[in-house]
Amino acid sequence: MLALDIQNLNKKYPNFQLKDVSFQLEKGYIMGFIGANGAGKTTTIKSILKMIHIDSGEVRILGKNAAEHEIELKQDIGCAFGGIDFYTRSKIRTLTDVIKKFYKNWDDETYYNYLKRFKLDENKKIAELSTGMKVKYNLALALSHGAKLLILDEPTSGLDPVARDDLLDIFQELVVDGEISILFSTHITSDLEKCADFITYIENGQIIASSEKFEFMESYRLLSGNENQLNLVKEQLISYKINSFGFTGLIHSQDFDSSIDIKAITPSLEEIMIYFAKKEDMYV
Amino acid sequence: MYNLVLKDLKLGVNPMFFVLPLIMGALMLVPGWLYFLVPLYFCWITIPNMFGQYRAQNDLLFTSMMPVTKKDMVKARLSVIVILEILHLVIAMIYGLITIRLYPHLTYYFFAPHMGFWGLCFVMLGIFNLFFIPMYYKTAYKFGGAATASITAAMLFGGVAQWIGIQSSFVSNIFNGTGAHNTALQISILTAGMVIFVAFTMISYRLAVKRFLKVEIL
Repeated sequence: MLALDIQNLNKKYPNFQLKDVSFQLEKGYIMGFIGANGAGKTTTIKSILKMIHIDSGEVRILGKNAAEHEIELKQDIGCAFGGIDFYTRSKIRTLTDVIKKFYKNWDDETYYNYLKRFKLDENKKIAELSTGMKVKYNLALALSHGAKLLILDEPTSGLDPVARDDLLDIFQELVVDGEISILFSTHITSDLEKCADFITYIENGQIIASSEKFEFMESYRLLSGNENQLNLVKEQLISYKINSFGFTGLIHSQDFDSSIDIKAITPSLEEIMIYFAKKEDMYV
Repeated sequence: MYNLVLKDLKLGVNPMFFVLPLIMGALMLVPGWLYFLVPLYFCWITIPNMFGQYRAQNDLLFTSMMPVTKKDMVKARLSVIVILEILHLVIAMIYGLITIRLYPHLTYYFFAPHMGFWGLCFVMLGIFNLFFIPMYYKTAYKFGGAATASITAAMLFGGVAQWIGIQSSFVSNIFNGTGAHNTALQISILTAGMVIFVAFTMISYRLAVKRFLKVEIL
């Protein structure tokens, strides 16, 4: 079953637009949603949550149309927005007491287990929590109301490497049973290399690719060679950088003729992102 | 809806604003004062502070993540405002009763705190709601313009009503003169005021929902 099915999402702003955004997340998997700052990640997530009005397209969550079953589905969704604080001067206990009343599947036992596990003190104020703790608190809330789909907007940005790694381990544990699916946006690509099963890459409001992680990385080749070799492949490259040794450039695997003697390696997610961003710049 | 009201009462509204009616209501004890000013303290102090707080705490995004409809969000917020308004008026009325007994032989230049006057206060707050709620829900976070316009409208109503009350002997007679002791007349003015309050508040709710549905939560 698909946890999330997005079809042809369109949304036009005066100087930015989401264009035909489509991707699917299979139940029980983690999907990393990557893209540069301003590529449309948050806009897409807010469209999924119906916080902004889409011009056209359809969002289905857990098999149901999100527009028609909004309230019902929100019971099954847990979301967290990195870097946004709510009622920071209130204690965790106060905030939870208010929030839990909204969810019919709220389970106090689960909640206290997660608090213990995440080492969260109920009597602390939100403002006293570190960034990592805030994300964990949000997760605890989401999991205690039995969320089946976690939509997390940049949950790992602002976290130190240890906290990030810890959080990624938690994500992986959560999906083990196959009940919970996670969509999380980030621009920290190393996070995804560690834990994502699928990658959806958005650039300038358009989905460049959405596929299994290794398949995604394998579909590109990072070439490096001297300037003479550059001329052979220049036309096919997505973009390239010139340096004192020659060039490095990104190419679609299918465009690359492996009989040419150019050093080719599988790029990292970060390299894919950088070269795509460079392509945008070249057209400006 | 009920949970949303509870959320506002527990998180959004500072407890001070529930004590404020008791303190501001005590101004009713000033003999012969311009009593229209007493409920206006709600508009001057509580409203800007409350809505500033909502904005500072990112309440809009917080609430949008809960499984609630936008309609209920407006309904709950409006209910909280109405609860506070009624609290202000009822407590002021009680102080008013004390005032009337405390100074029985006072000559009132402005409206005396009889029931009819409270009817006018209800209309004043109704006008406030009618302007404030729909204007606020254009964005659901900017309250400055809405507060200025609605407070001005409410004060204009109060000012004009009071001016007529002083200038026209007929009106003055109804509210301060012999009419003040005509219980049936006073009750009917109060009831009419309440009806207008309810009607204006309902209209404001409908307009606000219509506008809020178009708001994009950023």
